[in-house]
Parts: sequence; C-alpha cells; structure tokens
Amino acid sequence: MPSEVTEGKIARFSRFLTRLEDAPSYAKSRYQTDVYQEANRLLETEEGLEVLYQYAHRFDDAGVFQDGPWEDASKLQPPLVAGSLQAKGLPYVIEMLSDLRMLAIADGKANHPKVSQEMAMDFLNEVMALNLDLLFPDASEASRIEKKENTVEAQRLFRFISQYLSSSALSETLIHEIERLTAQRPITVKRTVSMIRMAKEMLKTETSDTQRNVLEKYIASVEGASELSSANPLPNDYRKQLMALSTEELRKESEALGVSMRNTGLCSPQHSVLARFLSRKSPHLLPILLQLTGKGKANLEEHAELVHQLIKVALFPSTCQSVYGLALLLERGVLSASPVMPGLRRLIELDIRPEVRSALFKTVGEGEGLTANSILLAGVISVLGQPLGVGQGLNPTCQAARGISLWAQHAPGYLLEIIPRAARDGDIDMVFEGIHIHSKDLHGGLAPDLHPELDPVSLVLVPHLDRIYSEMMSRVALRGEDGHRWVNPAFYGDWVQKGFSTVIEPITGSVTDYPGFVRLFYATHHPEYNDDYELIYPNPVGIFITNVHGKMLGFHAVSIQRIAKSPDGEYRVYFYNPNNDGSQNWGQGIESTVMDQGELPGESSLPFDEFTSRLYAFHYNPYEQGDAYAVESENVSNVKSMALESWGQEYTWISK
Amino acid sequence: MELDQLEMNQTLQESQPEGKTIPYLTALIGWSLPAIEACDKLNRPFVVVGPPDFKEYAEKHDITFVGWEFDRLNEGSDKLYKQLKALGAEVAVPLYEECVEWAGALNSRFREEPRLFNRSLLLRDKGMMKRKAQMAGIKVGVFEEARDKEDVKRFLKRVNEALLKVDGDKYEPIHCKPLDKAGSVGHRAIDDPADIEALTDTDFPLLMESHLDGQEFSCEVFVHKGKIQFLNITEYVKLGYSNFVPPSPSLEAKRPIIRKAIEQLIEAFEIENGVIHPEYFVMPDGTLHFGEVAARVPGGHIFDLIERAYGFSAYEAQILCSDPNTTEEELREFFPAEDEARGYAGCLMVHPHVNFIEELNIPEELENHELFEKHDMFTPPQGKVAERVGFGNHYGTIFFFGDDSAEMTRLLVDYEKYDFYL
Repeated sequence: MPSEVTEGKIARFSRFLTRLEDAPSYAKSRYQTDVYQEANRLLETEEGLEVLYQYAHRFDDAGVFQDGPWEDASKLQPPLVAGSLQAKGLPYVIEMLSDLRMLAIADGKANHPKVSQEMAMDFLNEVMALNLDLLFPDASEASRIEKKENTVEAQRLFRFISQYLSSSALSETLIHEIERLTAQRPITVKRTVSMIRMAKEMLKTETSDTQRNVLEKYIASVEGASELSSANPLPNDYRKQLMALSTEELRKESEALGVSMRNTGLCSPQHSVLARFLSRKSPHLLPILLQLTGKGKANLEEHAELVHQLIKVALFPSTCQSVYGLALLLERGVLSASPVMPGLRRLIELDIRPEVRSALFKTVGEGEGLTANSILLAGVISVLGQPLGVGQGLNPTCQAARGISLWAQHAPGYLLEIIPRAARDGDIDMVFEGIHIHSKDLHGGLAPDLHPELDPVSLVLVPHLDRIYSEMMSRVALRGEDGHRWVNPAFYGDWVQKGFSTVIEPITGSVTDYPGFVRLFYATHHPEYNDDYELIYPNPVGIFITNVHGKMLGFHAVSIQRIAKSPDGEYRVYFYNPNNDGSQNWGQGIESTVMDQGELPGESSLPFDEFTSRLYAFHYNPYEQGDAYAVESENVSNVKSMALESWGQEYTWISK
Repeated sequence: MELDQLEMNQTLQESQPEGKTIPYLTALIGWSLPAIEACDKLNRPFVVVGPPDFKEYAEKHDITFVGWEFDRLNEGSDKLYKQLKALGAEVAVPLYEECVEWAGALNSRFREEPRLFNRSLLLRDKGMMKRKAQMAGIKVGVFEEARDKEDVKRFLKRVNEALLKVDGDKYEPIHCKPLDKAGSVGHRAIDDPADIEALTDTDFPLLMESHLDGQEFSCEVFVHKGKIQFLNITEYVKLGYSNFVPPSPSLEAKRPIIRKAIEQLIEAFEIENGVIHPEYFVMPDGTLHFGEVAARVPGGHIFDLIERAYGFSAYEAQILCSDPNTTEEELREFFPAEDEARGYAGCLMVHPHVNFIEELNIPEELENHELFEKHDMFTPPQGKVAERVGFGNHYGTIFFFGDDSAEMTRLLVDYEKYDFYL
C-alpha cells in the first residue's frame, strides 16, 4: 500500500530529523525510531526517495546511524547490502537510508571524514554490479521465481541511485566482476552467465567503446561468438545452417567459437552443436574448435575414438560448458593415464541409482532428452579438465571439494573409481587406521541438506565424502591433538605428507610457540629456506577465515598448489580455495587475488607472509626441512603481529 | 573493607583536586536515557548508577558512570555511597522499581536521615505497603501474605466464603503478586483452586488480595517537601494496554477527592520529595480504593503522555522534586496549572495476538485519523513472539493526541483488539 507523499509527511520527517540532530549524542537512540518511521513512509514512492535524498547529506551528522551496524560508512560492505534490503523491518529502512547517505557523499553533497567521493562512488558501483537483477528486474528469471522481501522498494532505490551514477563507471565495475569470475575458470558458471545476461542491459546505456567491446565479447561467448551462431540461437537452426557450410567456412566458424571459449572459459550451446557436428562430419576441424596445442592434438589423435564417443554421449546444449572441459582434459593428457579410458567408458553404461539420477536431472532444464549418464559424464569431463574449477557452492563442504580437486589433478583413476561406487552403489568406503568406513552406514556430516547448485561430480560425491570426513574426525576427536594430522592423509591419500603442525593446542585451546610454527612453515615451504624442495602434490592446509576488519569468522580448508615468485618478484603462495569466489578481503590489507599476480586459472594467491598469518595447520615432509633458524626474526614478528591482531584476539597466547 | 577504603581514598584524591569544591551532582539510579537527557537540559551535573553493561556506552558518550548490580543483594552500599559522595553527589533519583531502596539508602546517607531508607522499603514490599495504608485508614481490599500454596488455598476459600458463595458458584478471583516487582510483573488472578498448583516455590512469598471492581486509574504526583506540586491523573482504558492523560471529564471531576486521598497517602507514607505513582480504583459508589504505590518512573509511556499533554518534561519534574534544595520559585515557574492541558495524549501498547509474525499491518484509517500521532512498529526480523512479562515488553506503541476524550477512548478500545501483526 504505497502511500502518497504529502506535505504533512515531509514536514514530520523534517521535524523528526531536526529533533534527532539537536539531541545530545548519548540520546540519539530515543529519536531515531521516529526518523525511521517517517522515512519508511517516504520510501514507498520515487517522489519520497527524492525527498529523503534532499536530506541525506545531514543523516550522518544528525546521528541517523549512530550506535548501530551502519554507523561507520567506511566499514560498510557492498556484498551485504542486498541481504539487508531483503530483511524485514528496520534493517531494510536503515539500509535504504544508508545507501542514500552514500549517494550524497558520492554526489559531493556530503562530506565524510573517512569516505571520499570516489570511495562512495566505488561502493555504489559495486553494489549495483552485484545486484543487477534488481537494477534490471526482467533480465533474471531466478529473481522472479524466488520471491523476496522488499523487491519492489529495492528496485526503486537502485533505479534512483543509478540516475546519479555514470553508466560507464558501472560498466567498468561490472566488467571487472565478470573478469574476476571468469579468471578462475569455475566449472559451475551459472552466476557468471546470469551476470553477463544482465550486462546486455548495460549496452542500452551510454558506455565507452572499449567497454562495449568487452561486454559484447562476453555476451558473444555465451550467446554465439560468430555471426552464424549469434543469428541462430536455437540449436536446431544452428545445426541446419552448419550443414550448408563449406569446409573453409566451417573452419572459420570453429576458429571463432574456439578462440572465444579459450579466452573466457565460457561456452554457448552452439559450441556443443558444433562439436557434435565436427565429430561426425569433419573430425579434422575438432582441434581448431578446441584450440588445442601440440600436446592436446597428440592426445586427441591418440584417443580419437574415445573422444568421439565422449562428444556423442556427453556434449549437449545444456552440458555445453564441458566442451571447454574436454579441451583442457586433452591438454592435460589425462586420457593417457591407463585407468582413465576404461573408467570413462564404464560411466557411459553405468546403472545409476534413482536418487542420484533425479539429482543429476535437476542440473539441466526439462525436456532436453538427456540421460543421467550423459550429465554425469559431462561433469566428469569438466572436473578432469578443470580440477581447480571445482567449487563447494553454498555448502560448508570445503574438505570434500578439496579432495575432488586433488584427485582430479593427481589420481584421476581413483576419482573414476569412487564416482561409480557412489552413483551406482550409493556407498563409498575408505580404510581409516585399519577400520573400514562405509558412507552408507553414516548419517549427518556437515551438510545433511546439500545445496544443489554444484557440478554433477560434486553432487554425486560430496554427500558421501562429507560424511566420511566427519566420521574420521569424530573418531580422533578425543586424542588431544588436532585430528587433521591423521584424517587428512587417510582421507586424501598418500599424497599428503605425514608431518603436521598446528597453531592451537587442542586441549587448552591456546596458542603455544607461534614463532616456532611460523619458522617451521618457512623452513618447509619457503623456497629460500627449505633447501629448494618443490611442492609436488597440493598440501591441504587449514586457515582462519577473517572478515574485512580482521575479525575471525571460522576455519576453512584450502590447498597450497605451489609457492613461486610473482611477476613482481615477490614470493607468493598459490592456493586452491574451494569457495566459489576466490578473491576475498581478509582484513589488515590482506586480499587474496585471482588474477594478474601470476595465478593459473582457479588459483588464488597471497604474499607468503600474509598467507602464513592466516594459517592454522599444515602438513610437511619431515625429511625435507630446511633451516628454520635462518628465517629473519623480523619476518616472524611481522607475521605474528598480523595473527595476534586478527584471529589471535579469540585465543589465549602463551607463546613467546 | 580496608581495601575498599583504600580505593575510595584514591578516588577521592583523583576526583577532588585540592582547592576545588565538590560539584553538586544528581545521582540517577538506573539507566534511563530520557532521565539523563532531562538532567542535562536542567544543566545539573549528574552521575549515572546503572547496570555494568552500560559502561561502554557511557564512556563512549562521556557520561559519568558507576556500574552497579541492583538485583544482587550486597553489603557494598557503603562503598557505593562513598564513591558517589567522592564524586560530589548529593541527591539520588530512583528510576526503576529495583532502584528505589538503593536511592532511599543513598539519600538517607546524603541527608543523614536513616528513616528515609526505611520509608523507601515501605514502597518495595507490597505487604508492608498495604498494611501501612490500612493502618492509616486508607481503604484497601482484603489482603494477606502467603508463604506457600496452602496459604493461597485458604485465602481463596475464605474470601469467597465472605462473599457468601455456595458450592457450585463460580469463585470471585483473588490476585497474587510478588512482593517486590514493578506493576504487573508476576501478577496472576486465581479463581480456581486448581490454578494454585501452577505456583512454584520461587513465586513465594507473595501478596494476595481480593478482587476490586471499578475504574482503575493512576496518579503521577510530583511531591516536594511533602507538598503536592503537580497532580497528574492517568485514565486506564485497559490496564497494561492503553491509557491517556488527562482523564476524561467524569474522572477529572473527581480531582478534589483524589487530591485528598493523595494527601492522606503522602502523610501516611511520610513522602517528602520525588515522584509517586499510586493506583486507585473508583468504586461504584464513587469512593476510592487504594491499589498500590510506587516511587519511580511509571510504565505505559505515562511520562511521555504528560509531556505531550502539559508541555513539561516529567523527568525534569522528577529530578527537580527529588532535590530538597530546589526552591519554591523554581517549582512554581516549572509546573503549569493542572487544568491547562493542551489536549488528550494517549497511547496503545501493542502486543501481537499471534505466536509467529509474518508481517506488520497498520490500517490506513488509523494512519489518517486526526488523533493519530505516530507509532514505532516495524516488522520484527525474528518472527517468533516472546512471552510477555507483566505488562512489559510490548512490541510497539501507537500515540494519539487530540481534543476528544470520548473518541480517544473509542480508538483505544477498538484498536486493542486489532491484529497489527499477522
């Protein structure tokens, strides 16, 4: 029931705001409610927003946000805005007012001691880029289906704010977001694709030519990277058109789609149509579509028959993303590992259990005519091609994701062994200290209700892996030492080293000998102190997750992939973070990056010392230790102070 | 003790540099922002004695603060006194029920009048309070203190025997309430012996009284040197849900006899300075029945209503009246005449009728009504509704203001049944 803006309402808001302004600082909370109430009435219309905005430059000084979570504008985070707007009641009202305050700063109407005009502008641009579904409501199917609280009001606010933002700055932020997401080459691209779809709307606004080109490039990558493919969005039309092409035209078409795919890591349904077509009619053009290098070509030639079979069974418009997976799988030479070929062939005819079948079907649209085996096989191709593209989605199952990624890299045969066990038998078993653990006998785990937005392999494996890992951890829970010491080698396999060190003393929960811990990590991992032993297999390590303010949020599992010098010549830890979004801000200026610092697709990275400051447990080879004493005390104390001032606040320190 | 004194001496030295006179501080007993603001507005330097949880907030806003746990029975009142004295405090103003005896104890030390403390205890034990009133010839219901369930059973039976009930008649209810809780906290009406079983050991000792019929109202009386400075009468539309100030003409007409009753009460309880908040019933024959009396800020937003209706801050009034050194002139200038209200100010306290809140529903007619002023309700983020304690923790309040007391009553009655929360 949107109410009209009346003179009375404006006068009341103005009066209440002035009264709040006049109140002494300790008594602001007495007068805030009246301001929120009147604001709430005005927020219901565009006209009302305009009225509120006329007052927005006074909000901060008047104390509208005082003593609450929105108090310090410099500490606000764009990713949290959407959640507040969708909350019921008060948080929604205050968030709206806070965004108007930010707009007033960005617009130069208000001054803030800690937030400059540019910072406010960046903030709002990021908020917009993260919430394009609100800015362009029709573009997203999901937002329509999932009815959320206050959607209409939030949309109105975003439209209002966007009038004040330069669309080119917004495009810039959006492009950066998309680049960041695609740089990681995730297997699940739903979010990326929906962002790109919405970016189409940006083309209707004023943007610079460069931005337009970049956006068009991304749009083309998911909607058709050639004239022919973009003109024929329907797979069937496209297929008919392909038949009429000459070999030379077909080569050009393959080239266009292939280059786009390798540039962005994204595929369109046409990619799969073309792959199937080439596989049947012009197999010699497949290397062009897949943009294979010498090694990839050799692999394709060697296993041509199997590859054609894989294309035929697994690559369809709704599994098109696996065309990219196939290209990388060939580049990695995975097919040459002896158990892989029979392992893949087994999946084609595997008798999949009904519950797994239905979970798999949910990952594609209805009426596609696919078999569950096709979906699973496509998933396996992606995982084997992009081991670092595995993500945990919205589930707290970082350990399971880390295992799938590790096996895909170094033990594809094993991975192909447990997938049919889970999909066909509904069970995975592992031996832990002489005891057989069967997942089918276990309940619970960290994620009893798995969020289904996952790649097919994770969908099949995670429920089992999650339960087994939890069971192993509970079996060692009372040993008085961090259980990961025994569980990680047993769970992930012999690739995990037996040496183990942790920060927290499990019985007392206190930090003991932190400098020793830091030195050991340097001596076993830092190339300047560890006698040049290279890391061969990913090292599953535990880290403290901290928020932007360095406050501890919890524990997280990542894997160190390698340690190397960045393009700038500093040592960085390159690691796999099963979170879908690898670039994160952990406070104290510690921001992991996913590109431009020498990362391979799917890797995150941090300077060595910053990474160390968040580490709480790691494995090492006791026979490959370097010189712990040689590590500069300055490095150690620097790491220590970062630790002490962040997650260290939550623990008692009894170390030197 | 020695350690305490050592600490005290240090505080003394810190806060009282040589050659500087002690400031005349008002000690606000209990954490209340409106009271703090009132003290500030009166330009009276003050110190707040409140639960230690508020320390951080006080420090952030430069409020002189002494953390104190009122609920815990402790022997440290001497320490508190010395600490406040060292800061220069001379007057203690109680803001909440559990602060009353603390303020009493402090004031008796500040003024060296031990009896002040005993008088404050009178207000904190409802049994003692009733007895005192009865002895002074004030009309009260039948009451008794109970130590166990047997006492309650006997009292219920005897009261109903006196009412000449025979077997099979429905019992008239009796009321049970804890001896020392504010207003209606812990209150229950019992008309069935089976209900008595629901009482637990922690409910005892308690006060039992016979049921009083009739219109209930409260007074907020600002007293200085034993004299009434301002008598506000608050009409209860529904106890704990709605009330307004000043009362409708029919109750207003009783002001003279009400004033007489208050004077009697002040004399009986030897009240000198501060605010008292007694509750009465008007019996069908027009006489007054005394319910109970408190010496603190009343609930039900009554102070806010007084400010809206009369234009003075009741918190400021309380502070001024609590100080024996406030002058006659100051008081005369401060208070308006009792018949000079600008209109009727009322409020409705809303408590959800559902156990789980989906959304807030404020009808357009209400928002557009000429008596409607404002409300403070938002959809709560947590949908589950908390259990109500006494008449406290209501979810929101709707404020009204206007010239028509009949319309005010109608609105308060009608909207009390309205489902604001769905």
